[in-house]
Amino acid sequence: MMKTNDNRNVETHRGASLAQWIAVIAAIFAMVLSILIIVNYIQVKRADPLNSVALRAMIERLHSNPGDDALRQDIRTLDLLARKAYFTSQWQIRMGGYLLFFSVLVVVICLKSMELMQKTIPGMPAGGRPDPWHLRQTNRMWVAYTGIAIVIISMLVVFLTHQELGKTLDARLNEGNISNVSNAGNANNAGNEGNEGVEAMNGGGGGGANGADSAGINDKLVGGNTLSMDGYPTDGEIAGNFPSFRGPGGNGIAFQKNIPTSWDGKSGKNIRWKTEIPLPGFNSPIIWNGRVFLSGASETKREVYCIDINTGKILWSKAVEKITGSPTQVPKTIKETGYSASGMTTDGRRVYAIFANGDLIAFDFDGNKVWDKNLGTPLNHYGHSSSLVMFHDLLIVQYDQRGSGSVMALAGKTGEVVWQTSRSVKISWASPVIVNTGKRTELILAADPMVVSYNPANGKELWKMNCISGEVGPSVAYADGVVYAVNDFSKLSAIEIGDPPKLLWEDSDYLSDIPSPLATGKYLFLVTSFGAGVCYDAKTGTKYWEHEFETPVYASPVLAGGKIYMLDKKGLMHILQADKTYTVVSESPLGEGSSCTPAFSEGTIIIRGDKNLYCIGK
Amino acid sequence: MSKPGKYPVRIPRKTLNRCFFMLLVLILTLQFQEVLGVQRFPRPEFESGYVQPETLQPSARSGVLAIVDVLILIISLAVVSWLVIKRRSRLLVFWFSLFSLVYFGFYRQGCICSIGAIQNVTLGIFDSTYIVPITVIAFFILPLVFTLFFGRTFCAGVCPFGAMQDLVSFKPQKLGARMNAILGLIPYIYLGLAVLYAATRSDFIICRYDPFVGIFRFDASFGMFLFAGALLISGIFIARPYCRFICPYGVLLNWVSRFSWKHLTITPSNCIQCRLCEDSCPYDAIDMPVTVKNPETKSATTRKFILICLLVPFFTLLGGFTTSRIHETLAKVNRKVALTNMLLETSNNKDQPESIDVTTFKSSGKPISQVYSEASLVLKQFYTGSWILGCFLGLVIGITLAYRMVMIYRTDYIPNKGTCFSCTRCVDYCPVERNNEGLTK
Amino acid sequence: MNRRRFLTTGIRASILAGIGGAGAMVASKAGAEQLVWQLDPAKCLQCGRCATDCVLTPSAVKCVHVYAMCGYCDLCGGYFKPDTKTLTTAAENQLCPTSALKRKFVEDPFFEYTIDEPLCIGCGKCVKGCSSFGNGSLQLQVRHDRCVNCNQCSIARNCPADAFSRVPLSKPYLLKQVNEESQAAELTGKKGSSDE
Repeated sequence: MMKTNDNRNVETHRGASLAQWIAVIAAIFAMVLSILIIVNYIQVKRADPLNSVALRAMIERLHSNPGDDALRQDIRTLDLLARKAYFTSQWQIRMGGYLLFFSVLVVVICLKSMELMQKTIPGMPAGGRPDPWHLRQTNRMWVAYTGIAIVIISMLVVFLTHQELGKTLDARLNEGNISNVSNAGNANNAGNEGNEGVEAMNGGGGGGANGADSAGINDKLVGGNTLSMDGYPTDGEIAGNFPSFRGPGGNGIAFQKNIPTSWDGKSGKNIRWKTEIPLPGFNSPIIWNGRVFLSGASETKREVYCIDINTGKILWSKAVEKITGSPTQVPKTIKETGYSASGMTTDGRRVYAIFANGDLIAFDFDGNKVWDKNLGTPLNHYGHSSSLVMFHDLLIVQYDQRGSGSVMALAGKTGEVVWQTSRSVKISWASPVIVNTGKRTELILAADPMVVSYNPANGKELWKMNCISGEVGPSVAYADGVVYAVNDFSKLSAIEIGDPPKLLWEDSDYLSDIPSPLATGKYLFLVTSFGAGVCYDAKTGTKYWEHEFETPVYASPVLAGGKIYMLDKKGLMHILQADKTYTVVSESPLGEGSSCTPAFSEGTIIIRGDKNLYCIGK
Repeated sequence: MSKPGKYPVRIPRKTLNRCFFMLLVLILTLQFQEVLGVQRFPRPEFESGYVQPETLQPSARSGVLAIVDVLILIISLAVVSWLVIKRRSRLLVFWFSLFSLVYFGFYRQGCICSIGAIQNVTLGIFDSTYIVPITVIAFFILPLVFTLFFGRTFCAGVCPFGAMQDLVSFKPQKLGARMNAILGLIPYIYLGLAVLYAATRSDFIICRYDPFVGIFRFDASFGMFLFAGALLISGIFIARPYCRFICPYGVLLNWVSRFSWKHLTITPSNCIQCRLCEDSCPYDAIDMPVTVKNPETKSATTRKFILICLLVPFFTLLGGFTTSRIHETLAKVNRKVALTNMLLETSNNKDQPESIDVTTFKSSGKPISQVYSEASLVLKQFYTGSWILGCFLGLVIGITLAYRMVMIYRTDYIPNKGTCFSCTRCVDYCPVERNNEGLTK
Repeated sequence: MNRRRFLTTGIRASILAGIGGAGAMVASKAGAEQLVWQLDPAKCLQCGRCATDCVLTPSAVKCVHVYAMCGYCDLCGGYFKPDTKTLTTAAENQLCPTSALKRKFVEDPFFEYTIDEPLCIGCGKCVKGCSSFGNGSLQLQVRHDRCVNCNQCSIARNCPADAFSRVPLSKPYLLKQVNEESQAAELTGKKGSSDE
């Protein structure tokens, strides 16, 4: 019994000492390896063979002396050497790493097996037990000391560094606000040169400096009225998004690129996702920073949806309810208008939605309600349908109803009415349009009997022209200083903005009562709700082409990437060249009917069908 | 994608060559401007029967495997909990931790891990566009749930970081009350910063300064390798330095584990105060019996305790105030703020060479005011965030101080439910057999 | 002691409810699909950080050739240094620092360009050349057979163009493709004008 035990002890001892030796050797090996790897790393880092200065200099020399064959040969040799050095050192570091790992592994295994072999029997700890109270006190003291040290270190950081970035930025932003517009405008022009849409938005060439002045004035005006501001997006940001019905300012122009031209909703070709929208609505989707917003309503329920553009997931959906002053009875609307026909808008800070019963609500981007109010049930026999639009941080609402038309601006942050201007017009269903003429920014509205322009900063009337009648549905189009207004059973007028405004031309062959016209600097495109399309010369009114699409069209055509995107009621997208000849780029079916104007984002189109929301893109 | 046959017209070779020539002239005169998505050169029509190669797009790791990971996580947690609570076997826990090291570490290369998942969950809460994959949520929640039931068994045998450090802890030393107090505050700071940076969409610092993931991948930056090496070498003497003094997930596990339902016990039956396990724990996680009386009088202790409790709000505010003073320094991690800083510096100091960021920003055509306003928004978030961070730290220090005032008298050796990793080392030291009958026999 | 136990049980239950609640809150908008990192070539500015900032060496970002977009040019902006005089594969002419871009004659006057991926370090020099002088058929992409899919991509953090994003696993590439119809229309347009 004793003997075997002894034997085992001896064997264990032998095994342990062997393991110890192996561990020591492996540890020394690992140490040497790590030194080698570090040296190799430093060498390669310093030499940076792929960006060799010598090689570059030699190639320079070769350019000045192209006949030097010896130099050429040298370059080739050095290039090969450099590449070899790079890949060899990579290989060395990698192999060294593996070797190091395995040698460390050997050390660990040896030490672990030693530990297992030499199991010691637990013994009594030497000395008495420390006083737990004393330990606690020490611990407590040092926690307190550490806390004090953290405070001292933070204070040192405060004294040693400049904590003035916030102040500097605020200062820069305040002085920068004045030059904001021109900066953004120029940036746009640089980015999209040759794109007529931008010119239309900025009012042609030479608008930069003037635009800056007027923006400065506007800033002051707005600043005087709204007490609490938290900024508004720059023109560049607005152009990079699709913040309202018919895009930035409601001009019908999208500045996005790489817009798809072919898809098929049935087969799923180029359909990135399709999401069912719980409640119906004829409002068109808007897009800001990868989020799509739209609203839906039934007779009893009203909701706002936020959808992730990448996945189509509904990020949040909020019920619009319990609004003070909201009528208990929903006004009667017709089927073609529904309870949620007005498009939403956003200033990049909040999103705004309005419903047929006059409920107006603002949410932040995470779906928290910021404010809400009821504007009073609109007296409207079809149902309120005018979309919202933003000017800086002002939310512009057209509220033309039976008996008392008005247009108002609400502070986006609080919902306070900043200005309200009453209008002596009949009910209209057209949406406000914000245009930049290069001299100033104007807010243009069309309603029986006239087209009126306001200063969006204070609501003062700038000019008006009696040229329209009936129940006005289409919003105006604008490009290059000319406003185009049209209505069914009335006429199409091209008005040149000026003092006084001048009627350039008019026509009554093609009259729309739902889709809005689309103007580029050169052409005016118009499609009637019965599906008859026409292209005029923007300045003279000469017809370039006419085409019968044979399907009703409710959505307004939008210009994107130099092409016209026109969606008919059956969901077929007609993509045309914005040109004087009728050229079809493609026709792509959605596989579902639609009455909503599409929205555009980089490389994608968002279309609201009768039931589903589609994202089209590769 | 496109096939040559799809073109409606066949362009004569001559026209093509003419186009080519014109385009070449254009290039040489550099009159060209970049237009995205426009084909400058038409695609050739080959006559030699050349077949265009496919553009290869190797796919990523299948999503099904991610679900397998979650299943393996659940099984591992269950197995380790069983080994710890029922089998009480150090050896089996050790072998299982090797499996976890190989699977979650070297095979899965440490991503996604529960520690890093804190940031995904935070980002998911604060950024409504970020959609947290369900597997990441599982990695965050499952260890917490298991800890609530069985103590930190996740640390014992599932976490590959713990397994790796456990392998090298050959000569663990006791650190003493002082070091434990100082270093023990780091995880709270780290957790606070990680949440702050994730919530402001700035960075995932836990992943960025993850020391062991580089070892799992055999690839990392030089600095991270140095950090890992330093941690492992110090790990020979200080057992599990990352787990105890860095790991932010450990903070959460510590809190949850304090209320665990069935925690590991040193003795399977009754403690006989033999003192054998006293030095067994390399993590200083065994609570000794408290039998001696508090040297201070009861009234003095009570007075002190009440004082500290009253001071807790003060600590909280002090922490918030102090940290909010350095919010700009903290915010420099954010890319937008960093870019703004660089832009301001280049505008102030024209001689300095521009960084790539400034150059690329200038070529992007974005208005500078947009960056400024974005950065000032981020700064405001950081101001609020650093107040909250500071308050949190102040509160932690205050509560720690108050907690250190009270002590429960006990006669037994028990593992500290918060800091114990359930590694079951102490179990082997206990001479008490599973049932008392064993002793009498 | 009983009160103490009651308290602990209560706290335990509330922690469980808390974890569950937080989990449910995040899970309510969680996606079942895994996300992977990808860079959008349309935003990419070829700053060169993809080569240096990846946790892997060489980077998981590599140049990818979309052959369908390629013009098969003899004078390839992606292959040759800008002021190259002789169009040969000589070392002094090549833009690629590791010679990973290979050039092969197809038929007069077309050349095929392929990428030797093991050699490519993702510096994007050829991509810059191709997008400023050519069709932009060379594009940088995260190669998912190499990418370890870090929780936070270290290139994304430093990308000056914000070109990196998490994309669904089922669509892991964001290659620019030829716009078939627009190209067709362009070609018809060209033909029309030359007929006039």
